[in-house]
Amino acid sequence: MNTAEALFFAVRLWLSIGAFVAAVFLTVGIDRVDEDARGAYVFRPLLVPGILLIWPLVVWRWGVLEMGRDRWAARYAPPRATHMAAALLMAGAMVVAIWLGLSSRQDWPADIAPERLSAPEVSQ
Amino acid sequence: MSVKYIPVQWNRNKWLYDGVMLAGVCAFLWLFIHVSPELLSHEHPINAQVHNARAFGACAFVMLSIILAIGPLARLDRRFLPLLYNRRHFGVMTVFVALSHASYIVNWYFAFSSSNKYEALLFANTSFGQVAGFPFEVFGIFALAVLLILATTSHDFWMKFLTPPVWKRLHYLIYPAYASVVAHVSLGILQEQQNHVFTGIFLVGAGAVALLHILAALHERRAGDPKADAGQGGLVRVCDVGDIAEGRARITLLPGGDRVAVFRQDGRLSAISNACAHQNGPLGEGRVIDCFVTCPWHGFQYDVTNGRSPAPFTETIPTYNLSLQGRSVMVDPTANPPGTYVEPVPVPDATPTEDPA
Repeated sequence: MNTAEALFFAVRLWLSIGAFVAAVFLTVGIDRVDEDARGAYVFRPLLVPGILLIWPLVVWRWGVLEMGRDRWAARYAPPRATHMAAALLMAGAMVVAIWLGLSSRQDWPADIAPERLSAPEVSQ
Repeated sequence: MSVKYIPVQWNRNKWLYDGVMLAGVCAFLWLFIHVSPELLSHEHPINAQVHNARAFGACAFVMLSIILAIGPLARLDRRFLPLLYNRRHFGVMTVFVALSHASYIVNWYFAFSSSNKYEALLFANTSFGQVAGFPFEVFGIFALAVLLILATTSHDFWMKFLTPPVWKRLHYLIYPAYASVVAHVSLGILQEQQNHVFTGIFLVGAGAVALLHILAALHERRAGDPKADAGQGGLVRVCDVGDIAEGRARITLLPGGDRVAVFRQDGRLSAISNACAHQNGPLGEGRVIDCFVTCPWHGFQYDVTNGRSPAPFTETIPTYNLSLQGRSVMVDPTANPPGTYVEPVPVPDATPTEDPA
């Protein structure tokens, strides 16, 4: 099995576990942890893709709510202080990406002679 | 706001918002494909498949840039708040556009491999050690995965289930995703541009997003909410009573990091959490009408005396005990459980201060 096959297998495994979690959560768990979901069935298929992708978070929150360990105060503490760091990191990463892209561009500025690239490495 | 969950909470404003958005997407694609091939340097596309892939890719980048610009714009100028109202639908539509781009790419460049086309996408180029010819597809794959996570967790159920702070932190993934899209474009399509119009549009768009976020963060730091002053008996001083305009609130940062919003309504003061139960929007920036404050982000309402949404809705937020010492508004920084009634405090000299708005 090469790296690409291993990655693809890992993705399928992740989604398969997610499908199992979705089946159990949407038929048993959701009614136990959210009173607004009781008797509401039409919206549940909309949740399936999200559970497939973030099922570990679903299992964690389900466990917290089942065990009564949910702290109400934590619901009202938005992470506003981290916006500056997030904005600066995003801007910095963008500058680096654009600089790398423009500096490796073969036809800009126009007076630079094109350079022949080596063929891409192929792992298979 | 809902008592029972439904798939999508449509209303007239959302229909209008989505209609304008869909028309914008169609107009962009039509313009890109039929009107401006020379301008955007794709007058000689390899085939229709690649032509469409570029159109949907460019559209997804523009949509993502607009989505990311809405938040800081609304922070810097309240007139942009209506755009924030239905931003989640914008995000979901962006995912469909991005998926169309990815589908055109995979079904053209990798569909004729003897291997699985998705595996082929991963092993076709593994030159991770060089900048020129770098397998830029990985940046697109990462960004698409993030967009899928954000779109599929956009239903209100997720905010209540995960809690708004966890949901927000999850949705912070949009920042590395956008940087990843910029890398995807820079090391991808930007490498073969024959003219610089597309390059210019791309740089202006990405630069505007980065600049707006930095400006909004600086604005928050400079003109952010003041900290409460230390008081006596465990109370903290929020402000002078004259600082609160009638129908409005004063938001203050408490010692524990929470924000309290002290409202003045009919010459009486009430204190509630500044964080809306829905997405933790800034309730203190809303206006009180008939005892109910409306969140400026998505219109959720709460009675400022008990932190409860009007029936039949069930959302609740914490309240705070408060008192007046002279003209100082004093607040107990320990929040009451969500939905706890607190008797409003009358302002002795209830001369209403004019609402500047």
